Amino acid sequence: MNPMLPHAPRDRAQERGAALAVLLHVILLLAVIGQLVYLASRYRVRVDLTTDKLWSSTASTRDLIEKLDEGLVIQAFFSPKEKLPVTYRTTRAWADNFLDELVQLGKGKVVLQRLDPNADKDTADMAKRVGIKPLELKSSSSTSLSVDVHWQGLRLRYGGQKQKVVPQFTPGSSLVAEALLTPAIKEVITEQKRKFGYMEWPAMTQGPQGAQGIGWNMVRSTEGVAKRYEFQNLKDEDGALLPPDIDTLLLFRPKDLTDRQKYVIDQFVMQGGTLVVFADAAEYAIGPQRTFMKVPMQIDAAGSQLPFVSQLATYGLDWRPKLVADMLANTQQPRDQFRAPFEYLCLAQQNAFGQLQNVPAPYGWFFHAMAQPWATHADLFARNDKGEVDQAVAAEYRKRFVPGMPSDAFLFSAFKQLGRGPGFYWPTWAGLREKADGVPDLPAGVRGSVMLWSSPAALVEDPPQMVNPLGFGTASQRKDAYDKFSKQMAERYQSAPRLQAPLMAEVQGEFVSCFAGKERPKRPSQIKEEEAKKAAAETPKDAPLNPDTGPLSPEAQQQVERAKGGAKDAAKAVVAEADMLAKSVKPGRIVLIGDADFLRDDFVRGDYAQGGGPYSLFAGPFWSQLLDWIAEDQDLVALQTRGVTDRTLRFADELDGPKQDPRLAEQRLRSKTTLLRLANVLVPSVLLALFGLSVLLVRRGQKRSFLAAQN
Amino acid sequence: MHEALVVFRRELKSYFLSPIAYVFGVLMLSMLLYYAADVTLVDGSQASAENLFRLLPSILLYFLPGLTMRLWAEERKLGTLELLMTFPVTIGQLVLGKFSASLVYLGCVLLLTLGLPLTLAAYGPLDWTPVLASYLASVLFTGSFLAVGMFWSSLTRDQIVAMLLSLVSLFVLYNIGDPAKVEAAADWLPWWLVDVVSAISPYRYFQSVARGVLDTRDFVYFACFCGLFLYANALVLHSRRQKG
Repeated sequence: MNPMLPHAPRDRAQERGAALAVLLHVILLLAVIGQLVYLASRYRVRVDLTTDKLWSSTASTRDLIEKLDEGLVIQAFFSPKEKLPVTYRTTRAWADNFLDELVQLGKGKVVLQRLDPNADKDTADMAKRVGIKPLELKSSSSTSLSVDVHWQGLRLRYGGQKQKVVPQFTPGSSLVAEALLTPAIKEVITEQKRKFGYMEWPAMTQGPQGAQGIGWNMVRSTEGVAKRYEFQNLKDEDGALLPPDIDTLLLFRPKDLTDRQKYVIDQFVMQGGTLVVFADAAEYAIGPQRTFMKVPMQIDAAGSQLPFVSQLATYGLDWRPKLVADMLANTQQPRDQFRAPFEYLCLAQQNAFGQLQNVPAPYGWFFHAMAQPWATHADLFARNDKGEVDQAVAAEYRKRFVPGMPSDAFLFSAFKQLGRGPGFYWPTWAGLREKADGVPDLPAGVRGSVMLWSSPAALVEDPPQMVNPLGFGTASQRKDAYDKFSKQMAERYQSAPRLQAPLMAEVQGEFVSCFAGKERPKRPSQIKEEEAKKAAAETPKDAPLNPDTGPLSPEAQQQVERAKGGAKDAAKAVVAEADMLAKSVKPGRIVLIGDADFLRDDFVRGDYAQGGGPYSLFAGPFWSQLLDWIAEDQDLVALQTRGVTDRTLRFADELDGPKQDPRLAEQRLRSKTTLLRLANVLVPSVLLALFGLSVLLVRRGQKRSFLAAQN
Repeated sequence: MHEALVVFRRELKSYFLSPIAYVFGVLMLSMLLYYAADVTLVDGSQASAENLFRLLPSILLYFLPGLTMRLWAEERKLGTLELLMTFPVTIGQLVLGKFSASLVYLGCVLLLTLGLPLTLAAYGPLDWTPVLASYLASVLFTGSFLAVGMFWSSLTRDQIVAMLLSLVSLFVLYNIGDPAKVEAAADWLPWWLVDVVSAISPYRYFQSVARGVLDTRDFVYFACFCGLFLYANALVLHSRRQKG
């Protein structure tokens, strides 16, 4: 029976036969379709067309799997999918898909073993023993309440020895599945955790529970970082030289540095170590009402002969302990002003419904570097008060301005996709030593580069005492205080020259010690010892026999004994301490980052997010990528840079320019948005309607002429 | 093939000469673009046409039955179906001609939404490949809904009945592919049944292609789905022809 055949008369028997034939056709057709669909799902060809390859596993996963020298066994402790509660079934689908993909990529090196702990007590015991956490989910009906135990965890075993357990593997998408599992694979195949040394100088602030020190624990203990790196606190009060197994030293907001500490740092660099300095020119604490207060801070300890700034200058770095503001509005805009307006600073303002709402409030000292070729925007900065471009000035700017993120280091791959660097909070000048004409003046054998620059709208000042833009009081009083503060800052900016401030720099090579030719700074214990010895020497030897003064008191006697013992220890330590290195024995590396606040616990934790910021949203990604970059480990870069291309819509001019009135800009933006929406709705509809109307009119005309011709 | 082309041209011409098609097009476009532009054209948001294609299936769900109801039912009501049957074309060619003409007409309407991605591209770095994949997915999805609508239209001479039948079936087909509803259904249906049922929905495959991933499995599905309903359509017409 073919529907394409011409019609033919039939009798009843033929009709029955025809109906049967139709039925057979349909059954056969369904069978063929079923086969086709089955074959198509088995032998698939799949092309991910998205530019960021959003729906495919990244090169990180593929490369890691390719690097496997031994077999990777993935034991999936999964209870049956059909028994899982609804919310977990989708996560199972993502988990299964990704695991299957890993097996395919592994080409025999990855073995997937599926185990159901609910089916076998021994398997359940084993799952518990290795650390798989069951999902204990309550289910209730009108008559009963029960707790169902489900399993969805993984155990990775590499080479029969190393293992890693993912206690619960419940990804919400393929992206999350990869983000969870690939670092775990990396961890299990990594021989040893890389060790980083650090020294930190926490800020003391007045919190709800009284005075508390705010340090940099959060970033160090983040799960993804702690899995792969180990951190050791090397801040030694007695200034011992650093252990040889440490090849990277992180300094978080160095302050009150003694010459001995500087010597320790110097010798570490001379031995080929990597030094990373998160520098701050001033310390600002954030009060309970988001009031910013300057806390007294000195970079160098009292009595220090060598300023730390000079020490860095010896290596080719230029740290100017000044505060850098970027007055270009675009650099102060949060990445997502709808979902996370609190990245920098927000002001509570009433919305159309009379409710208070956090609205981003530009604050020059909170900003990010932008991946902009600033020379091409020279005209924007060469405008005079009338808005005209001074061509001579613009030409000079074109020569002078450099891109905001000039470095090709993989540390910035993700950030370049975003078009911006991490947000900095009260940053400081961190660049390369320069000659008077602005050309880098690096020591012989040292090469370096500035990796992040502000926009050319930088305002560089000595750290002000007063940086609080909000004042105190009601919302409207705070708004007034903010307006006044912004106006004053804008006035200072107008009278300042247009310049770009460096925010991060790196030098590497063979350095000369800043202590070369000088006496080695003494350790505090050594100084104490010498003082005690001196005191002991001044005491007459026959003092106990002198009847006028009498014998030494037991305490004084003990002190002298201690001093003698201490002197012996110190002497031993000094003898054990390596000779001073006057220059590098192997190439070292120093990275200077002009901000420490952006990694600070309170900023990273989002303590101030609810109140309207600041909240250092990009600290985590920057930190983990910085560690990988320092460790020269590119394995996870593709995973970290995945799908982050910035596709932000900008209806206003790309750069607002530092002189624009924000209210006017907002009004213009609103009108433009309305116009664009209207145009998008009306133009196609009107075009179609007009086309239809013209067709109908032509038809009517043709009809009339036809009728007229007939008559 | 030539005969199918003749039918196709005749049908397409009838679309462009009919005021109803323009009213349909204008209404559908304005509604789709109004909602899509409102949520897509926002300064500071990401340049993505995702919202347009998220709305499209639900808009098509309500508008398509209005378009497909007349395809066969009107021919039957006006008595032109019998006339059509006397033409030297097979029923398959008739069905194919009508189907492709409707698809091309809807494709033209869809093309008029290009203004939105173009606006996005003008003000942000739009990733065009998922947009193009979404258009392809929309055409495939429209084709599958058209095939269903045409099938119902061939079953009755009453256009309202055809529209209601299409509306209900398309509503069901659309909803069984919606992940949220699938999850809700999984509470009271066996999981294997939910899996099978949701695998029937063209919406599920539309989402897969629209995200920017071309998978042979999705294309095979669309081809089978349209093929099945068009074949069923031809069978119905054939049985009518046999009955005289």
